[in-house]
Amino acid sequence: MNIWDIIVLQPMINVLIVLSNYLFGSFGLSIIILTVVIRLILLPLSLTQLKATRAMTTLQPRLMELQRKYARDRAKLAQEQMRMYRESGISPVGCMVPMLIQMPVWIALYQSIMLALAVNPEGLLNLSRYLYPWPVAFASLPLENKFLWLDMATGDTVLAILVGASMWVQQKMVTPHATDPRQAAQARMMLWMMPIMFTFFSLSFPSGLALYWVVSNIISIVMQYYVTGWGALALQRAGAGAGAETSRDRKLRRRIEVEGATKVQPKDTTSVPKEIPPVAPPPPPPSPPASQEKEEPEPKRSVWRFWK
Amino acid sequence: MRNKRLITKISILVVTILVLGAALSGCIQGLQPIGWSGVAISSDGTLFIGSKEGRLVSIKTADGRRQWSEPLKLPAQPGGFGCAPGSGGTAGGFGCSAETPAVAIYGTPALWNDLAFIAGYNGKVYAFVSDTLQQRWVFPREGNLKPIIGGIVLSADKIYFGGTDGKVYALDAATGDKRWEFQLSDEIWSTPAISGNTLYIGSFDKKLYALDTATGSKKWEFQTAGAVVSTPLVQDGTIYFGSLDRNLYALNESDRSVKWTFMADNWFWARPVIADSILYAPSLDNKVFLLDAKTGTKINEFDLESQVSSSPVVVDRKVVVATQDGKVYSLDRNEKRLLAIVTPNASAPLSANKGIVYVHTPDLTVHPIDVSTGAKLPTISLKKAE
Repeated sequence: MNIWDIIVLQPMINVLIVLSNYLFGSFGLSIIILTVVIRLILLPLSLTQLKATRAMTTLQPRLMELQRKYARDRAKLAQEQMRMYRESGISPVGCMVPMLIQMPVWIALYQSIMLALAVNPEGLLNLSRYLYPWPVAFASLPLENKFLWLDMATGDTVLAILVGASMWVQQKMVTPHATDPRQAAQARMMLWMMPIMFTFFSLSFPSGLALYWVVSNIISIVMQYYVTGWGALALQRAGAGAGAETSRDRKLRRRIEVEGATKVQPKDTTSVPKEIPPVAPPPPPPSPPASQEKEEPEPKRSVWRFWK
Repeated sequence: MRNKRLITKISILVVTILVLGAALSGCIQGLQPIGWSGVAISSDGTLFIGSKEGRLVSIKTADGRRQWSEPLKLPAQPGGFGCAPGSGGTAGGFGCSAETPAVAIYGTPALWNDLAFIAGYNGKVYAFVSDTLQQRWVFPREGNLKPIIGGIVLSADKIYFGGTDGKVYALDAATGDKRWEFQLSDEIWSTPAISGNTLYIGSFDKKLYALDTATGSKKWEFQTAGAVVSTPLVQDGTIYFGSLDRNLYALNESDRSVKWTFMADNWFWARPVIADSILYAPSLDNKVFLLDAKTGTKINEFDLESQVSSSPVVVDRKVVVATQDGKVYSLDRNEKRLLAIVTPNASAPLSANKGIVYVHTPDLTVHPIDVSTGAKLPTISLKKAE
């Protein structure tokens, strides 16, 4: 076994097996509980990532304006961008680092489930290398493959559809509302490609793995909802409407705009445009006083338009 | 704009890596059944093996002539990316090997009169004519049982095997007609053992069962703390078998009372053998334990530094074992001797004839080794000649 196996996989596999033993011998419950626990442990990182991603989108109009303004002076552009990030308290890599930290854990959980399933003799034999010398771990194997209507060793159509549907919902929530046709087409492709791919994977792989994907997607949906609301899903529900901004969106947008403006504006009012190019509406006012903002008419486009 | 593009690109890259990692690791971590058929040897020295290509292969040791049966047929499967473990295939599509899908064969062929029997992971049992490898009969004639992992044993004119559907079957060896079946409460991976008119077989339900070979009725059952996957050994009125509770059990055949138990640090996966009243029991903790067959007292142990999952064989009072890292040892009471090094991951039970031991490895090769000299004889490829 290599270091990854010893430090990451082995503990996770043994926890899965022992959990299964205490959860009425149900490996399905064990997968659900461990997935939830790990996602809870990673919650601070996930929230950091979601918030950082959202905050980045709020800066897009200003970034675009900077790019327009300093189109011929790349050094100045970079300098101004960095200053804007610094002053608004946003790190451009803030949304990637948490994701990169979480990735190994997700992969480990995935691999642990695959190994612990031990769907054939080679799998069970291979699993024997990972077991701690705990009597409960040895005696619990092979794990019970039946869970609800599922035989977790084989693919399941219903669960595959659930994987695809939950992934589509999650993707839809984070899909930016693009005005550029090329970007819109790209977003549409991503929106459908991943759910379709994972639906096919789920048909072919053991459904124990698909169960993990469903649970993980549902947790992501819940987290996404609490950070950004229904996002593009709400827009679609309201008729894909321009201007179909939810109250949650409005509150978040105002808070970010106010926070961003108070941080940026006092130091460099000249660098923030008074007019925003049409491709990046609505224009964030450089220094909107809170009292004034209440009197402003509702913006016609939601915060999600900044995603593109 | 540039930052946004960068983020998009990185996101796509991350997702792609995740998906590829998921797909690839899924296919290399034991999801695909490969099979590990042992070698059956007929009275004229012909070898019969279930190959990784899903065929029964016969080899005339006298002249090296090889024959292949038609490949066992995969059950009809819905579409997908070919990684479903229930398909019985050993290779798939997306993210898997590019080889043609084949039915995995775990059990060693059984020989009787002019027939050779083999059971496949596709849930079928086949009888082939030994000389021509033409199919004589198949069970069931229509459809498929659930995957069959354990091997076939013969007694009188019947063959016996267990399936992952939890049933023990007895078929007429000549016709393939079902004589009886007996339902256990969980899957069976174990190959049965027969002594007199009693069949012994283990199950995932953590029990060893004794059934009447004539009627299939249950004589008794013995509860352990773990699933019973290994093949029992019945000798001198004692049944020896390993359980996934890490114990090796010795039961009195007459009254199923426990003579002794012996615990290792991992499972007793392979069937033990007896030589000179000493039980050689390989464990997945890399050790082979030498126990007094009558009392269970440990006489010696050899640490082979690698798991032993293939059942050993006795050749001229020496016990030959093959480890997962491809080393073949000859053991006796006091010492171990490295005989040869073959391809790793040999899990097929070893067989021997006239001082030659045969090791079937997953690379479609049989390695004959002369036990007395340790000489490696020319290997035999099981790959179907085009």
